[in-house]
Amino acid sequence: MEFYLGLIQIFGVHTIIGLSAYVILLTGQVTMAQAGLVSVGAYASAMLTAMYGWHIVPSLLIGGVAAMVMAIVVGFPALRVKGLIFVIATLAFGEFIRLFWFNFTFQIEKGGELIGPIGAEGFRMIRYFPENGWSTGGLAAFIWFWAIIIMAAVWWMDRSRAGSVLRAVGEDEVAAQSVGVNLTVVKVSAFAASGLIAGIAGALYAHYTTHIEQENFTVLLATFAIAYPLLGGLRNIWGTLIAVIFIQGVLTEVLRFMGDWRNLLYGLLIVLAMNFRPHGLIDANVTARLKRLFGAQRSANDA
Amino acid sequence: MDFELYEIIQAFGDGVMKGSTYALLGIGFTLIFGVMQKINMSFGAVSISGAYASLTASILFPEVNAFVVFGASIIFAGIIGYVVYLCCFKWIPLANPLATLMATIGMLFFLEEVTVHATAGMPQPYPAMPYDEYFEFGQYSIRGDLVAIFLLCLIATAILLFMLYRTRLGIATRAVAQQPIAARLAGISIEKTNATTFIITGLIGGLAGAMIASTVSILSVLFFLPYTVKGLIVTVIGGLGSIPGAIVAGLLVGGLEEVALLLRGILERDIYIMLLLFLFLTFRPGGIFSNSFQRD
Repeated sequence: MEFYLGLIQIFGVHTIIGLSAYVILLTGQVTMAQAGLVSVGAYASAMLTAMYGWHIVPSLLIGGVAAMVMAIVVGFPALRVKGLIFVIATLAFGEFIRLFWFNFTFQIEKGGELIGPIGAEGFRMIRYFPENGWSTGGLAAFIWFWAIIIMAAVWWMDRSRAGSVLRAVGEDEVAAQSVGVNLTVVKVSAFAASGLIAGIAGALYAHYTTHIEQENFTVLLATFAIAYPLLGGLRNIWGTLIAVIFIQGVLTEVLRFMGDWRNLLYGLLIVLAMNFRPHGLIDANVTARLKRLFGAQRSANDA
Repeated sequence: MDFELYEIIQAFGDGVMKGSTYALLGIGFTLIFGVMQKINMSFGAVSISGAYASLTASILFPEVNAFVVFGASIIFAGIIGYVVYLCCFKWIPLANPLATLMATIGMLFFLEEVTVHATAGMPQPYPAMPYDEYFEFGQYSIRGDLVAIFLLCLIATAILLFMLYRTRLGIATRAVAQQPIAARLAGISIEKTNATTFIITGLIGGLAGAMIASTVSILSVLFFLPYTVKGLIVTVIGGLGSIPGAIVAGLLVGGLEEVALLLRGILERDIYIMLLLFLFLTFRPGGIFSNSFQRD
């Protein structure tokens, strides 16, 4: 049971990470900065709880806000460029933050022992949940509480005017601009929202693993972040959730008997998926078909 | 810590010569961008895995000359480059930029993992340049092997430029880069040109990979991502799609990196290169040689 609860925790955190990339992908930009933003949230909130004894909820929010501020600060210069240069800029930014943590040592004494991040060794003893006697199930519920809030928020945003604006920018920037959409505002807001979500994901991640180091936030995590929405499809948030369950559940856990060979599959899966389903698992076709399946009933209700 | 000026100049000079490998990587990224308006994220991985594949030559024939191994690296990387084209570009609709980008990232991790498997993740010794002389000029000294690497990269660039500007193949490549539709109307097969570009960049990447490995006499799976990131940074600083830009930026990044290594140590070295990139993005987003046709 513990094992499955642990798996559910991973699903929750990765869904949030995937949704943070989803918001930016809607504007047609590919970001490789998510790992960096996640790490900002992770370090910030872990320092607050482990070193200064904060409660988890405010530290979670501060972690999110810290990542959001970081996203805005970086967003402005990075968004001057677009398309492929943006990919490279965000990739370099993510690596920059990782290298920053690699060199970051800041410890204070607490209860007779030194606590805090030590450069390459990372940040140990983020023991908020064990210290406060949370069960694994309680922690899983806590993570999914946040995951569902964020999923609901993104889902609602997607259906509201804001979502249409993001998609309009993603489909055709010039057309969007010509109907009066301010591109900079839209992109920076998307980046900020994405930073907030990624920061919360990082805070949750730091507290359930109890140990973070720069190794956790490499380009691989950034790739996963954009792979979930892209494999799942950008039509709606469910694609992201399905892709997370598929990659983290099926590929990582069910195929565990394959040992190291499993690692080959991640890259191969992405290549194959892009060849056979370039618009993701749930593309326009599938949505249309699902709508037709359930649509008859709904239109009867509408009438 | 105090450093004499001549030490800094020495480090910069060494770095510029090592930077010739970055220049080659940058040329590879930029060439594919120029022709297809796409970024091949797996290009750095192609270079390094080409160098890895060339180790088979030194395993099969232990007494073989280092240059044979380098040649093998070039050929293997050319083949891998073509495989990348098949997997990531040939059958994916090119109108969908997200899909090809994601596929090349997937390919990057796939190549890395294959190498990890083949070598059990252990670093492999790589033949160094067979020149270990030092040339002394007063306070300065120049490493013979770095000079050899620099010259090899120079020759490769010269051959590439000759090919691009003086042969029919090069004319076709540049035509597709400038106006794909007009090129097709003139009877140039775009698919064929794209595939050739991938093979050519693969060959360049193979040389870069071999040179990178031979400067440090070792080949490690830890090379994959850092050199990908460095190559991309060089491409952006030089200006996407600009070959002279990639060369200048490659040498510049190499030089500054070595100075940062001397002044701040190995752990912080790459941070300053990223800061350089952000400086360029803020003040000169088009790169050193801004391109007149900025497309994405």
